[in-house]
Formats: sequence, C-alpha cells, structure tokens
Amino acid sequence: MANAPLASDAPAKTSSGKVTIPNWRRWLIRVRAYFLKEVNEIRRQPLLILSLIVGPLLVLILFGTTYVNSTPRVRTAVVLPPGGISGISAEQIRALIGTNFDVLKITEDRAAMEAMLAAGELDLVQILPPNITAALQGGETPQIIFQSNAINPLSEGWIQYLAYAEVNEINKAILSATAAQAQQEAAAIKLRMIDAQGTVTELEQGISAARKQATQANIRESIRALDTLTALLPAQELLAAQGGELAELRPNIARARGNLALLDTAIENDTLGKSLAEIAAAKSDLLLLNGSLELFVNTPLERIVSPVTQSYSNTRGGAYPAVVYYSPGVLALLVQHTAITLGALALVRERLMGAFEVFRVAPVSLSQLIIGKYLGYTLFIALATLVLILAMALLGVPLLGSWLQFAGVILLLIVASLGVGFLISALSGSDSQAIQLAMISLLMSIFFSGFFIALESFAWPALPVAYSIPMTHGLAGFQNLMLRGIPPTPWTWLGLALISVVSFILVVVITRRQLRSA
Amino acid sequence: MTTTATTRTLAISSQQIELDFGNGAGIFDQTYSVPEGTILGMIGPSGCGKTTTCRVALGLLTPQKGTITTLGQTPTRFRAEDREQIGYIPQQFVLYPRLSVAENAAFVASLYGMPARQVRRRMDELLAFVDLTDAKHRLGQNLSGGMQRRLMLAGALMHDPALLFADEPTAGIDPVLRARFWGFFRQLRDEGRTLVVTTQVVSEAIYCDFVAVMRKGRILAVDTPQNLRRLALGGEIIDITLENPDEVSRAMGILKEWDEVVKEVRRSPKSEADLHVVVDDAREWLPEVLNKLERKRPKIVVASAAPLEVSYDEVFIKIMEQDAKQETK
Repeated sequence: MANAPLASDAPAKTSSGKVTIPNWRRWLIRVRAYFLKEVNEIRRQPLLILSLIVGPLLVLILFGTTYVNSTPRVRTAVVLPPGGISGISAEQIRALIGTNFDVLKITEDRAAMEAMLAAGELDLVQILPPNITAALQGGETPQIIFQSNAINPLSEGWIQYLAYAEVNEINKAILSATAAQAQQEAAAIKLRMIDAQGTVTELEQGISAARKQATQANIRESIRALDTLTALLPAQELLAAQGGELAELRPNIARARGNLALLDTAIENDTLGKSLAEIAAAKSDLLLLNGSLELFVNTPLERIVSPVTQSYSNTRGGAYPAVVYYSPGVLALLVQHTAITLGALALVRERLMGAFEVFRVAPVSLSQLIIGKYLGYTLFIALATLVLILAMALLGVPLLGSWLQFAGVILLLIVASLGVGFLISALSGSDSQAIQLAMISLLMSIFFSGFFIALESFAWPALPVAYSIPMTHGLAGFQNLMLRGIPPTPWTWLGLALISVVSFILVVVITRRQLRSA
Repeated sequence: MTTTATTRTLAISSQQIELDFGNGAGIFDQTYSVPEGTILGMIGPSGCGKTTTCRVALGLLTPQKGTITTLGQTPTRFRAEDREQIGYIPQQFVLYPRLSVAENAAFVASLYGMPARQVRRRMDELLAFVDLTDAKHRLGQNLSGGMQRRLMLAGALMHDPALLFADEPTAGIDPVLRARFWGFFRQLRDEGRTLVVTTQVVSEAIYCDFVAVMRKGRILAVDTPQNLRRLALGGEIIDITLENPDEVSRAMGILKEWDEVVKEVRRSPKSEADLHVVVDDAREWLPEVLNKLERKRPKIVVASAAPLEVSYDEVFIKIMEQDAKQETK
C-alpha cells in the first residue's frame, strides 16, 4: 500500500513495508516530539519568559528592599484627664507610650479624639485616669481605657498585646516607685527601731514616772512608722521571692508591732512589772526586724519589682531578616505558580484547537503526549528556577543544606505543580477558565500553604486542602534546606510524590476520556 | 446504495454503517468502497455527515451498526502500524502558530516515529512539493491561509501514508489555490496513494475518480463523476436549436416516438426554439438524432446541436431534489 513516491529512499521501511525502527526508539521520538514542541513554543514567547522569570524577580527585589518590619503602625491619641497629670509632662507621656504606639496627639479633648477615631484618622485612643497614685491609695483600681476602630484582626491582636504591655510597664513603674518609697521609709524606720530597742532596754531596767510619757510617745511613734512601712511594702509574694529573710519581713514587722502595742498598753496600765516576758520578746523581735530592714533596704529595687528576669539567646546568632525568611516561600510560590499556569493552558489549548483529533489519528499514546509535555515544561521551569535561585543568592539568601536534596525538592515541586496545572487544564472548558482556576490555586496557596499564616492556625478541615497544595510541602522543604541546613522531613518527599502521582493518574484518566470523544 | 465496482484492492470497504447521534444527526446505511490508488470525493452540504463518515473510517468513532475496514483492518482496532499508513488533514488549522513551517512538519513526522535524519530529507522533498521551501523557517502565525493549508498537507504526508483523508481542504480558499490543491491530490493519486477528500464545492467532483453525494447522513449516490451526471439527468442531453421555433412541437413528437433511443424530450427553459433531448450517450447519438429530424418531410431545419455540458452544481441539485422527492413520498 505504501508507495513512497516522494521519498524514494525511505530507509525506515524494508521492501515489504515493515517498519525497522525499534519500538522503544519510536516511543522516545514521539515523547521528544512533544518535548521539543513545548520548548520551541515557550522560547518563542519572550514576553512570557520575561513575565515568568523577570517579573517574579522584580517582585522579590521590591519586597526585599522595601519590607521594614511586621509590626503595624498604630496611630494613637492620648487623652489626659482635665488639668493633665500632675508631675508628668506631655513629653514624658509621649516617651512612655510612644515605645509601642505612634502617638499623634496628646490632648484633653476626648470627644474630638473619638470623632477622629470614628473617621478613621486614628487607630487608637488612650484615655488616662486622673491620678493613678491617689486612686490606688484611695483603694480604687484606676483604669486606662483603650478605644480602637481596628478592622484587621491581626492589627487588633497587636493593639491588645501592646496595650497589655503598656499597662504592665505602668504597673511596674508604679510598683518601682512604691518599693523605692518603702526602702526610703525602711531606712528611716531602721534608725527608729534602734531607738525603740534603747527604749525597750530602758523599760527592762525600769523607768521613772517622768520618762513614762516620753517613752510611751516613742513607742507609739514606732508603731505608726511600722504601719506606714507595712502599707508601702511590696506584695508578700515579691518579698518571699527574694528569700527566707525578706519573706519574714512582714511577719517580723507584725510581731514587733504587736509587742510594742503590748508595751504601750502596759505603760498605760502601769503593769510593766508584769510584762517582763513581753519586754524581752519585743527586744528580741526589734533586733530581728532590724536585720530584715537592713536586708530590705540593701536589696536592689529591680530585684524586688521584677524578681524573675529573662535570658534569651538564638543558637544561630539571630533570626534572619524578613526578606531572607520569606525567600523560600517566595521561591516555592513562584515555582508552583509558573508550573500551574503553564500546565493549565497546556491541554485545554490543544483540545480547543482540535489537535487531539490529530493525535488520535496518529500512532501516538496518551502517555507519550503527557510525558513529553511534562519534560518540556520541567526543563523550562527548572531553568527559570535556577535564575531565581541565583538572584536570591545575590540578595543574601543562604542554602545551608544539601544541594542535591534541594534540587530533588525543586524537581518534585515542579512535577507536582505541573500535575495540578495539567489537572486544571483537563477539567477546564476554555483558556480563561483554566487561568481563573490557576489564580484560585495561587490564592489558596497564599492562604493555606503556611506562607504567611502557620498551618497550626487553621481548624482541621483546612488541613487536607493545605496538604494537597504542592507549595505547602515545597515551602517546608525549602525552609529546612535553605535556612536551617537540615534535610526535608519525610512528609515533604511523601507529600510532593503523592500529589505528583495522584495528579498524573487523574490527568491520564480524564484526558483519555477527552481523547476518546475528540 | 451503490458501490464502486472494482477489481482492485479496496482501501476502504463500508457495509451498511450506521451511527445515530439522535435528532436526525449521524450517518445511516452507508455502503461504499474506495479502491486503492483512487480519489473518493465526498460532496454534500454542511452537516450532511462527511466528517463523521471520515471519522468512522479513521477509527475515531465507533459505528453502531454495519462493518467497515480501512486498509484491511477494522478502524477501531487499529494498531500503531496501521495508523502509520494513514494521513489526516482536519478541517481546522491545527498546526502550531509559534512553530516554524519546518518545526510543524517535523512535529507531525515525529508523532509517527520518524527519526530526525529521515524527517529532514522528507521535509525538503515535501516543502518543495507544496511550494513552501522558501517559507521553511517562517512561523505558522505568519503564514497566509493558503500556506497554512499547504503546510497541513505537507505535515500529513511527512510519514508517507498510503491513505490520506482530507476534510474540506479547499474550504475558504481561492479558486487558483483550490485547483493547485487538486493538482497535488491527483499527483498523489498518480503516485499510488488513496485519497478521501470531503468538500462542499460541487464543481470539484470533476477532479475525483469517484464521488459520493451525501445528504442527511446518507450516501445518495457514489460513482464516477460521469456516471453521476447520467444518473442525475437520466442520461446525457443533446441541446438542439431549430431555425423555426414553430417546429418545436412537431420535432418533440417525432423524437418521443423514437423511444428506444430517446429517453426524454423537453423544451429548453432558455429559448422557445431549443429542445433538450435525453439519450444514453450524447456524442454517440447526436448524428442520428439530427438525421431523424432532417429526414422528415417537410424537413425540420436544425440551426445548431451539441451535447449539453450540465454543471455539477446542477447535477448535485438534481440528485438532492430527487432524494427530497423520494423522502416526501
């Protein structure tokens, strides 16, 4: 039947018309046909190459050079009580609050600030109470009111945390001031207690009626001083945190005060002769108290107010700059998006232009079609990825782990992402639908891959979605290899391999059905 | 249905093939055969089932009834070796706009497993054949419609098929290029290939060895173009112009009596002095018919007489009308 008049020397056939090229070679030739076709088509699209390589590169550079920090700027107004806060200047308030908040205004006009808040010109209004110290001494709990109009839940979380930190700082400052006052008071009382010891010794030896009144006044003055000190002392928990002796300060004061009160009563009732035991106990307690006061006065203020301190160190010297930290994610996202976009258009375009009909007539199998396309796109995306990696290296992004494993994760990520792209292509009825689905996959990747939001932040129904995204596994693998210098976990390999295999099978099944109806 | 009688080996043999898509669409009771080394033209209006007929013969569609063999095999059971013997030019331009002429041709050739060296040699021959040598490196998107068609023809021939299906290859191209295409096809036929060519251009029937006229999924007739003309008109027509138009009725009477030769006599719609005489073979019977009229007394003077060249458009319309009449009966 084959007459071969145009190719008079057709070497691939014997005289009987039988094909002499081995089947395996024909298989390779057909796979190469699709491979070369894809490579040639892509290289003829300079704009596509630009958008796929240079575009992401520019995005990365812009991100790296402009990202400052992740703490939001909270525009804040501070509303002072009428007449301001005595003893504290606006500048001091700005210095204190400005640590965490961007203080735009300090005013007494609450209504005006609330109006600005409602208009979105401010993010936060802080309303300070009139006199915190006086309120505390009056037994009240003063309150700083924070009013926010945040619409971003992350910003609101930040504002609540910063408000908590600010109140903690204020409480600590108040505590410090009170403790300092207590130390001053204790130093004075310590001298008074030495006098009190002399007075008790005098009582022990017996006092004249003429000294009785002066002695009683002295004892009463000591009792008042001890009461004042008790009121100023830091909480018992803070004192106890300093050790056993300071833990006993408050009980010592109470015992000394009790003994002095008994002596006062005895002087009053003229029964000192019957109170020799109390006098001895008072003498001993005052001696003990003196020691405790000495210790209290000499204890550093910071140690009393903040008994627990922190020591932080990063075993790698420090965290990476944000641009470096996000680079593995950006790389994974760009590799995946490029692969999905190219894959999404690959089959639908052929189907719509009627090429499937030609493929069905030709002695070519579906596996040759798909493998050829996989190879063509993989080569191109791998080259684009190489350019991106070089650019990242110039930006200072390290690769601490194995190059071989890194190449393996990239390859698997490309294949898995192409599988998802081909699946989109097989399911799409048009080019625009394929692009739309590719964009949805991009959106899903940004939210559910752990790029910006940790996977632990999601309820369990989101996890199957998250783990079906190639980027989720690629990102984890890249972070381990690039930033930590450790191999990817088995889940990274397994996840990417599973997505690759499942998507390939689905693409083959769906495309086979489409080919049959072509 | 008629079959093409032949003693040669058949490239395609179809027996009572039916594939019903519902709502009257599909192909029905198709019996035809295509001898090797011939051109079968499938002619019919859009939607009459030409493409479906080709797709069944290519194994792309499975018939619900009947049997068909293409190159001796049931098409739905084609092996790779069978497919390598077949070339196909679909209706749409399915070559790639961003590949050059050479790359497009090489791509199609590679699908058929041709090694690169063989592809290069074959490509040079074929691009010369379809006059695309100068455009070898031009991208598909920069080709004119005619060049794209020629490229598709070259692509379909790269693997040197024995049987070529061309689905409306001349649709939408100018008459000069159409004639060139038929030139290509006839050359391929002369080289021994079998071609199945579908077309809506009825006048192209003249280029075919056999023509299948199709309507509503059925093959109304399949035969040589000449035989189809006879079939449609009941024979061949001699166009006679009399000197005296008043003699037309007498002449008609004389010829109608000669019923062993004259099948039908009717007035020409073009002129009152004209007669159309239907006979088996116009050239053979023309002198006898003239003698018959001029021997009568008084003599009927014939001003002119010649076989009437009826266009294939008219033949086609006639066959369609006959089928439509049968359908209404």
